[in-house]
Amino acid sequence: MKALILDGSTEENFTLKIVHDVIIDEFKNMGWKVNSWVLRDLKIGSCYGCFKCWVQTPGICIIDDVERDIAKEAIQSDLLIFLTPVTFGGYSSELKKAVDRLIPLVMPFFIKIDGEVHHKSRYERYPSLMGIGILPNEDKESEQLFKTLVNRNAINFHSPTHTAGVIMSNQDKELIREKIKTLLSEVGVKK
Amino acid sequence: MSAPKCFLLLVGSPRGKKSTSESLGDYLLEQLREMGLETEKIWIYPSLKSQEKSSDLISAVDHFDTVIFASPLYVDSLPAPVTKAMELIADHRKTTKMAKKQQLLAISNCGFPEAHHNDPALAIYRLFATESGFEWAGGLALGMGAAINGRSLNDLGSMARNVKKSLKLTATALAKGKPVSPEAVDLMAKQFIPSWIYMQIGGIGWRRQAKKNKVRTKSMYNRPYQR
Repeated sequence: MKALILDGSTEENFTLKIVHDVIIDEFKNMGWKVNSWVLRDLKIGSCYGCFKCWVQTPGICIIDDVERDIAKEAIQSDLLIFLTPVTFGGYSSELKKAVDRLIPLVMPFFIKIDGEVHHKSRYERYPSLMGIGILPNEDKESEQLFKTLVNRNAINFHSPTHTAGVIMSNQDKELIREKIKTLLSEVGVKK
Repeated sequence: MSAPKCFLLLVGSPRGKKSTSESLGDYLLEQLREMGLETEKIWIYPSLKSQEKSSDLISAVDHFDTVIFASPLYVDSLPAPVTKAMELIADHRKTTKMAKKQQLLAISNCGFPEAHHNDPALAIYRLFATESGFEWAGGLALGMGAAINGRSLNDLGSMARNVKKSLKLTATALAKGKPVSPEAVDLMAKQFIPSWIYMQIGGIGWRRQAKKNKVRTKSMYNRPYQR
């Protein structure tokens, strides 16, 4: 089993680094392979909104940069993890630049899911999705919006299971570990 | 809030002048200008190309009485460059005392038939407004954005009547320093055509575009990263 972490920190972030290390640790304990991309270190172009990944080079973004490797690795993983400072209730711009470029993984055509229109899947199987947001202080509104966003992404990326949680910057490592264990269990990660 | 005099539109689409975001924003600015109010427009994407241009964007946001964001929905929220611009603006405003009260309005459009897909994006704009010291004037959500496809609302005839009515009501409210009315929100969210027809037309459109690129319908289903 394989997990992929997309690290959307905008700068060195102490809590986010702890969370990242704890996740790696937990996956090792469970015998999973895990890889992570620190997105701020990568030159990733912004999505042009051209839809050529649907009508010209089906399934591949026309921008030839590292995001192609990220998209490939994402769809070949069993679990995709979005790790980000919660930014106005959503993702950081660093995480978002990578997420925007994942649309080649779905089809342009529409399908109804629970009475709502979404894009059809391109692949037979998709990774589960786990969102972990870092907040400086407790903020219920931002937390709820972050969870809603991960839920919406999970629908649009056809994730079989998903979960999301928020960790406060002042939480100690053991509390963080417990939270990560809970989230992994919620998303169905087993040995 | 006292009546604002100057309005800034920030266009958050990579398509710039051919975008539905700009079509919506332009029509709103047109209504404001007809009331004798000052308007200006800045495209976010090119504004992030250099430090100097980013600084100009941040200064412009400080100067205007009302700031209007218009952007497409990208994967359930705002495009990454719009988020980047908001991070820069918020950072600047944490350390700068604002000379006046300002309002912020957001318009989000998506290619899905249902306008409510834009809800998380508008909620993000609202939290940004609060964190950055703006008064939240509300958000407008549009579905079936592909039906506008960057064309001027003035060229769309009766199809755009509800959108235009919504933006006229919005202009009247903003000019008085008031938030967007529920009526304007509802009018913007009204579907142009039934969902099933939109889905059919969309499918035909995608196949036609692929054909132009010499891509067969079967190839559109390619799975280049299949493991």
